[in-house]
Amino acid sequence: MYDIIGKRRWLYVFSLIITIPGLVLILLTPFTNLGLQFSIDYTGGTRWVIRFEDRSVTPEQVRAVFDENGLRASVIQESDGYLEIRTEQVVGLREAPAPSLSPSASPGASPAASASPDVSASPAASASPGTSASPSPTAPTGNTEIPTDGQLGEIATTLQDRYGEIDSQTALTSIGAVVSSDLIRDTLILIAAGSLGIMLWMTYRFRDIRFGATALISLLHDVLVVVGFFALLGTFAGVQIDALFVTAMLTVIGFSVHDTIVVYDRVRENRARHAGEPFDEIVNHSILQTIGRSITTSMTVVITLLALLLFGGAAINNFIIALLIGIVSGTYSSIFVASPLLVDWHLWEDRRHDRAAAARGPRVRRATP
Amino acid sequence: MRRAGPILIVLIGLAALFIDFFPNAAIPGGDPDAGGWRELQTKLGLDLEGGLRVEYLAQEVDGVKPDAGALGVIRDIVEDRVNTTGVSEPVVQTQGADRIVVELPGVTNPDAIRRLVGQTGRLDFVPLGSTQMTEGQAIDLETFPPLFPGSEVSSASIGQDQTGGLTVNFQLKDNGATLFGDYTRDHIGEYFAIVLDGKVVSAPRINSSIPGGQVQIEAGGVGGFPVNEANNLVTVLKFGSLPFPIVELSSEQISATLGERFLNQSLLAGAIGIGLVMLFMLVYYRLPGLVASFALLYYGIVVLAIFRLVPVTLTLAGIAGFVLSIGMAVDANILIFERMKEELRAGKALPSAVEAGFNRAWNSILDSNVSSLITATILYLFGTSTIRGFALVLIIGVLVSMFSAIVVTRSIMRVVVRQPWARRASLYGLREGEFVAMGATRPTSRREARARV
Repeated sequence: MYDIIGKRRWLYVFSLIITIPGLVLILLTPFTNLGLQFSIDYTGGTRWVIRFEDRSVTPEQVRAVFDENGLRASVIQESDGYLEIRTEQVVGLREAPAPSLSPSASPGASPAASASPDVSASPAASASPGTSASPSPTAPTGNTEIPTDGQLGEIATTLQDRYGEIDSQTALTSIGAVVSSDLIRDTLILIAAGSLGIMLWMTYRFRDIRFGATALISLLHDVLVVVGFFALLGTFAGVQIDALFVTAMLTVIGFSVHDTIVVYDRVRENRARHAGEPFDEIVNHSILQTIGRSITTSMTVVITLLALLLFGGAAINNFIIALLIGIVSGTYSSIFVASPLLVDWHLWEDRRHDRAAAARGPRVRRATP
Repeated sequence: MRRAGPILIVLIGLAALFIDFFPNAAIPGGDPDAGGWRELQTKLGLDLEGGLRVEYLAQEVDGVKPDAGALGVIRDIVEDRVNTTGVSEPVVQTQGADRIVVELPGVTNPDAIRRLVGQTGRLDFVPLGSTQMTEGQAIDLETFPPLFPGSEVSSASIGQDQTGGLTVNFQLKDNGATLFGDYTRDHIGEYFAIVLDGKVVSAPRINSSIPGGQVQIEAGGVGGFPVNEANNLVTVLKFGSLPFPIVELSSEQISATLGERFLNQSLLAGAIGIGLVMLFMLVYYRLPGLVASFALLYYGIVVLAIFRLVPVTLTLAGIAGFVLSIGMAVDANILIFERMKEELRAGKALPSAVEAGFNRAWNSILDSNVSSLITATILYLFGTSTIRGFALVLIIGVLVSMFSAIVVTRSIMRVVVRQPWARRASLYGLREGEFVAMGATRPTSRREARARV
């Protein structure tokens, strides 16, 4: 029988090796420009995707125009001749006019007594049908309208004067700093809440804090692997994480515990069936019995994700990649992190009990070593 | 359950097929103006349909933050304004404590909408003379000059008349009270209108002279105003203009052509994903795999039907969530079939191995699905609208997969294993020696297969 649990020291070392570089980069993020790169969802800013009729217009030429207007922009060549421009927020944040009516401070302060004169009225009966004048609906066309107002409007004009017509604009997004300031905090809170919820559920179902806590550690392992991977991608390839990232993380948390549950369920069953056998052997046996289906269940999910990645268009590729990595890591950590930790915790408690027993005097030794 | 199960499965399946494919099917509960029926359709989000999305922040006034009620009022006012533009299917939602999100499919001219939405509303009190008008009617303020603006209202509340019917009461400030008092004294029997953004909200008849500014509006007929109508009117009187000014926080324009490309690509990817998963199940699990593939199709049809019923707005991330949930939906089947194989190898006869497979795998399946539901629910409760869409898809997916992968598969497997042709080891990916079709279990392996139920 192959001994996985016996090699757990090496498994811990391996997990440290794959998580530490990412962790270092994550920790460097607030202090340097290394590590995680946040999209405008987090930082605020403008994202503008356009294509010139003249496809030979280069990102450098476009960036120069933004420079002249005092805006730092990053311009990336996309497929089909599109240019993706990211810069600080230049549209939006228009103040609405000041209110003409202040909110009534004390609602219903003076209830009109029945003594007050009545304006009785049948909400006027028969009348001509409503002739509500409504502006004609805007006709949907393929493209969104190229801005003409404000700073971006000026830039668009300059660009078209210089490089010819912009024949297509597929996206124009502008996000204010107010939206984004909450997002990082919210992300962390959601991940913490999700992990905690699952830990409590596991503890409840297995009636044992050790099962819940080790499952939690393996979840955090997976989160760290995915975030770390994106810190690496951010550092070396400029890949950004956006608002969907938190969704990917929570999905990973919810899914990666599946395999842990399968192993733990088998551990519980084997423990009752083979009572008296050493706990590490029971766990090892349980892993070997279930490893096939752990891999198979993840494989079906990986298949669907790969289909999305290869054929689904580029818009949410980062989201899919985050899910893929998280799910593979989740399967790995269920078998090679959660279960070994469970064994170590058990052995540690057994030793503690033994020492306590030894202190109290001679007693029958427990069956587990 | 053994009897009712199959009938239920067929009924749900047929209902889902009807909802998915019957053209122009409609259910009650739609817009009352459109006859109260809502046509069943697959709703697409902005990223797939193209359009404009703007997020507004309701600002505090004099240190007073908007509460949930005020935010709801702002939402209603913004929605009314958006509706006047004739944009089809606008979505106006509150988000968090102080955000309003406006989504306008197919809109290409954001500035026109912005001017309209950002505007502060105008509430006017307009003498109509002897002209009668109905609620919602547009009114030309040149022809009917307002007597005084809505800022003269100091408070408004719901009251009761002598018979207990609901009325709407409001108090005018000094200037308004004087104007209204003078006007009503001279124009008893005529009409006046409360007008919001050029549209009549209420147009009662003046029954008597009203000095002092305490005004009561009664509905004609018995019982007074219906509660919601009275509430609406009070709301308008209190917050005729936006009670808190809103500023634009973020905006997003997505072109329709891009959205369509994304839609086609993700549908293709989804179809390929489902196909591959079904192929995998067939190759790996043979006959049970075929049953699971059927259950997967069933799953897809039911989930789509629920999307159309609820309705769930499908975004790019939502479709990804759906495709992902397909990968997860077969997980339960994999656990069951693996357990089944184990029980067969241990010497159980086919029918009892099938039962054992379902019974023993149940714990793991339940725990796994609850875990997914925990995280999806957190996303749904606290996420932004895009994230909520994804989470809702996942929640529906998990719940339906419990039904399809367990109830549907089990019912079919029970029928299948009773057929003579289905009793061959190769159909289950096993060797003949590992397989007992019917009858007693092999005694040699009793220890391993001993049930602990």
